[in-house]
Amino acid sequence: MTAIGLLLYARSRALWPTLAALVGTTGFALWAAHLMDAYLDPSRRVPVFALAPLLAAAVIGTSLYTASDELDRTAVRPWWPRRLVQLLGLSAVAAALLPTAVLGDTLVFGPPAMIRNTLGSTGVTAAAAVLFGARLSWLPAFGYVSAVYLASGGARGPAVTVWAWPMQPGTQTGAWAAALVAFAAGGALYVARGARPEGARA
Amino acid sequence: MTLTADSRKPPERRLHPLRAEIVRGFAPWTGAAVLLTLGMLLTGTSAQWQGGWAETRSQLHDSMLVIAPLTAAAGCLQGGRERRRRTDELWETAVRGRLARFLASAMPVALWAAAGFTAAAALALLATWPYAQGDRPHLGLLPGDAVLLAACAMAGHVVGRLVAWRPAAPALAMAGYVGLAVPAMASPGAGRHLDAAFPAPVGSYPVWWQPVVMAVWTGGLASAAVLAYAARRRYTALVPLAAAIAAGALLVRTGDGLWHDDPLASRQVCDTSTTPQICVNARYEGLLPQVREALSEVVGRLEGVQNLPVRFEDRPTAPRHGEARLPMLAPLGWSVVRGRLTDPKQYAWEAVAELEGRGDCQSTLDPRVRRADDAVEHYLAPGPHQEYFDRLAAEGSAAERAELTARQRARARLASMGEEERRIWLSAYFATAGSCGARAVPAL
Repeated sequence: MTAIGLLLYARSRALWPTLAALVGTTGFALWAAHLMDAYLDPSRRVPVFALAPLLAAAVIGTSLYTASDELDRTAVRPWWPRRLVQLLGLSAVAAALLPTAVLGDTLVFGPPAMIRNTLGSTGVTAAAAVLFGARLSWLPAFGYVSAVYLASGGARGPAVTVWAWPMQPGTQTGAWAAALVAFAAGGALYVARGARPEGARA
Repeated sequence: MTLTADSRKPPERRLHPLRAEIVRGFAPWTGAAVLLTLGMLLTGTSAQWQGGWAETRSQLHDSMLVIAPLTAAAGCLQGGRERRRRTDELWETAVRGRLARFLASAMPVALWAAAGFTAAAALALLATWPYAQGDRPHLGLLPGDAVLLAACAMAGHVVGRLVAWRPAAPALAMAGYVGLAVPAMASPGAGRHLDAAFPAPVGSYPVWWQPVVMAVWTGGLASAAVLAYAARRRYTALVPLAAAIAAGALLVRTGDGLWHDDPLASRQVCDTSTTPQICVNARYEGLLPQVREALSEVVGRLEGVQNLPVRFEDRPTAPRHGEARLPMLAPLGWSVVRGRLTDPKQYAWEAVAELEGRGDCQSTLDPRVRRADDAVEHYLAPGPHQEYFDRLAAEGSAAERAELTARQRARARLASMGEEERRIWLSAYFATAGSCGARAVPAL
């Protein structure tokens, strides 16, 4: 694959605006963390932890859209390496940028939890892009994470670290396992199948 | 070949042209998304609202924080539809005006979102019904919340028409979360009364016109946006805008007067057959038999003892003179889940601790007083964790083991007293309830 081919692929997936939007998301996270005086108490960062990865995942999810699905399918080369590089690359950028908003305490709502939430949300969004199309891919992750955000306050039980993974403060094994499984499964599904074809009628 | 008349009759009733917009496409999915998200939220928190009408109302209203931005985003997605289909120009040729065309695609999302919310609210109320312990259903905030969802869908639709950017919908949802959550988290200001998703505390009720004015505020803003975008005479947008501003001004001016405390929450339902009497909050009057059952052993063993408080009171405020606080029933989800006391033994132990009234000075207590407290708790209602702490002390340092031995000796001493002797001792002991000094507490 030539460099021009890669460049064309990047442009067809709106990669530069997506990267700019990820930088903007990081700015939003920084602003929100500052607004909530997060340096006073790490638990004040919780909304940033829920929302910033969601927005990053939504940006990544909408960039999985292809405007020329039928044309793509006539290509000689396999698409999966490109999809893999695109998803992993954007996830890596998001996972590297977002934790800068919550530096400091690493045990309670610190950078590791931000990376976990970014990966988990991206995984759910990638799976949704395969099932519902890239344009709507943000909806399931938004619904799930925001519901868990309000629901997990008083929730107890052995499985709570698994189903409420976006709200776990530290390095709970269950939460990491859930987020990584979501990322691996959603990513694999997207790499194998690609986003669901969406006509102009959607 | 002959031409035969078509024997099939034309359909009797022609389907309304808007029917397809309502039952097909993205709109029903909005309703499903609202219902699913609410379902997940309500299921996850069910222990904290199921069985309490006020809790159910508050949980439904508080979930607006999540559902309203989601609905706005769904409206935004629908708003970009004509641009994506490239049917804008086709619509221009329609006979109907711009506003009618706008409403034809915007209304279904608004209706479905409101329907999804209504269905979830109905299910939540049904789920609370069998476990309700008193009080009555509170439906006052629900219509206003449904109007808020419809308004969000319409406003989102306008944004979707104006902004041609694929991540516009999630970005709008994010802006909605921030816009609704910031007044709820920030310091109390008059602006929070304009926040339609501001959390409604349990036991606090709006004046009857608050939901109406709130609906005028949210609906007016959305209508102004719609008219400014789609009306033939755009200046008509000023009418709903003026109504919204008037409603907003009324909300801000009234301020804290919008909400008042539930009179029911200050009433007590009492069982006066026991000493001390047992009163529960009238909001949970159905729990009285269970509470009495849980405390029956404590009350039985206190028969004839003097210097006890007159009654257990279930109020959020500090107990009055001569009364003890009933261990908390609310907030639901801890002591009470779905109309049942979760742990009667623990509850009885908490009640004894309230009778002793030394919760504020546990760390500074004289060891002798602490031993007396422990012996009384052991005699009246041993806590479920007592054995665990004893085992911990038995495996601990020499000082902890010595303290355990002294504790066990005090317990044995109280248990071995004769009925009358124990009654006199307990009467002297309860005369010192609430005091942190060691001098008056009788020796064991």
